[in-house]
Amino acid sequence: MAIRRQAHEWRNIMPIGETVNLNYHPVLVPNNAHTIFMPAGIPVDIFVGNIGNTLDIPAELKAFQYIVLDAIAVSPPHLAAQIYVNTTRYFQNPDGTVSEGISGKVVPFPNGQDGIINYDYVDGLNPPLYIAPGQTWGVEVTPITDIIGYQGASLTDETIAYCYVKYLLIDGVDSLVAKALINAGWPLTVENIQKYKEIVAKNHIFAGTAELPDSIKNRKRRV
Amino acid sequence: MAIRGEIYEWELVGKELTLADTPAAGQEYSIFTSNYGSAVVQPSLVSEDSFVVINKIACTPGVSPNQYELDGTELIKWIPNMFVQIVINTTGYYRDPQNLYSAGISGMASPYPQTVNRIKYYELWPPIYVLSDQTWDIRFTLFNDLRKAYANGLFATIGDDVVLAQVFVDYTLFDGTDAMLARKLLSIGVPVSVDTVQWLRQIILQNRGLDTETFDFYLKAIREISIKQKENRIKQGMATKNDYDPKDNLNL
Repeated sequence: MAIRRQAHEWRNIMPIGETVNLNYHPVLVPNNAHTIFMPAGIPVDIFVGNIGNTLDIPAELKAFQYIVLDAIAVSPPHLAAQIYVNTTRYFQNPDGTVSEGISGKVVPFPNGQDGIINYDYVDGLNPPLYIAPGQTWGVEVTPITDIIGYQGASLTDETIAYCYVKYLLIDGVDSLVAKALINAGWPLTVENIQKYKEIVAKNHIFAGTAELPDSIKNRKRRV
Repeated sequence: MAIRGEIYEWELVGKELTLADTPAAGQEYSIFTSNYGSAVVQPSLVSEDSFVVINKIACTPGVSPNQYELDGTELIKWIPNMFVQIVINTTGYYRDPQNLYSAGISGMASPYPQTVNRIKYYELWPPIYVLSDQTWDIRFTLFNDLRKAYANGLFATIGDDVVLAQVFVDYTLFDGTDAMLARKLLSIGVPVSVDTVQWLRQIILQNRGLDTETFDFYLKAIREISIKQKENRIKQGMATKNDYDPKDNLNL
């Protein structure tokens, strides 16, 4: 399983009295859950940000891994998501300054939430973002206006804040293929990786059936 | 029926559940072999003459545990907050960004059934190949605690028809000679799909038909082998009288 389509989902819902749950989504009990208040303009890292379901360590790629980050989605509409790789932010303003990112009005999660449907980014980011071995990556969400904390009957699927990231994890031998494709200027897609492997396999088949050169065929046996 | 587009729909409904034994929250269960829902009788082992391609996976959407509904003390609506993971032999397909085994994909990303405000975001592409003699499993995890809700006295019974959780799997089953073609495609690096298997079958049928030239080729080859064997027997001193009989010499 060297090429895998992965997805990660972050939510700000937690059991009452808790704000963070490491490595897994929290187990929730009816009437004992709440969403965490998030003030406007303060970015929160969805991997190591101490709100909601987070991770022990930031996402860092191993020496034999590539990632193609191809889709991101957020909710509610006034929450924005920004991707970073090492210290560089992906989304910028026209003047070159870093923006808050892409909002839930463009890429709602789940798709259809609050009646908003993702029409513009159906195929994800174009071009997608390649993350190379050894690089650290993550996603920050920034509320454009305050995200209110809810509990009780007002805590519904529509009042939870979400961030969803979809990416292609290229692992092991396929990461060598990925490197070869990047060096050759080919886009890093599933289809291109399969095509490249097909070409390599075909060359090997032909190599096995081809006539050996005379220099090898007629050389003396060495003992 | 050598190539079949198969689906499997798993459902956990109220009437199938004993209140004292509901799936524990945060724990993983198989949709095939656990005692919950419409399970099958044995794990999904791909037999030696089969090849499976898993194309789609989806489950019930919904997160908030407070969106339950009661009719008196009977539970008539429940939100499972569920995730599904695909396991091949002992390897989980989904990992979190720090490379650890995760619960998988949620019903919010890949909902089943899909509605106008719950449209899928997640596509299982590339699909997953399950080879001969491998087992595959779909495991669900519920993060809303039904067991504790019952223990807390939230409800006393569950309505018979209440759907508590659902999983949908779409896969292609290649059987018999088509499984051989699928394996051949895999070995030469071509993606396995219904189209590519049919394409390979077509090429083989076009190229390997038995015509006169093919028959002549095989006849000549058999004669040459026979002569070679005779020569070897003579060299090894194991020849019989027939091997020296000029009438029986095939090399006429």
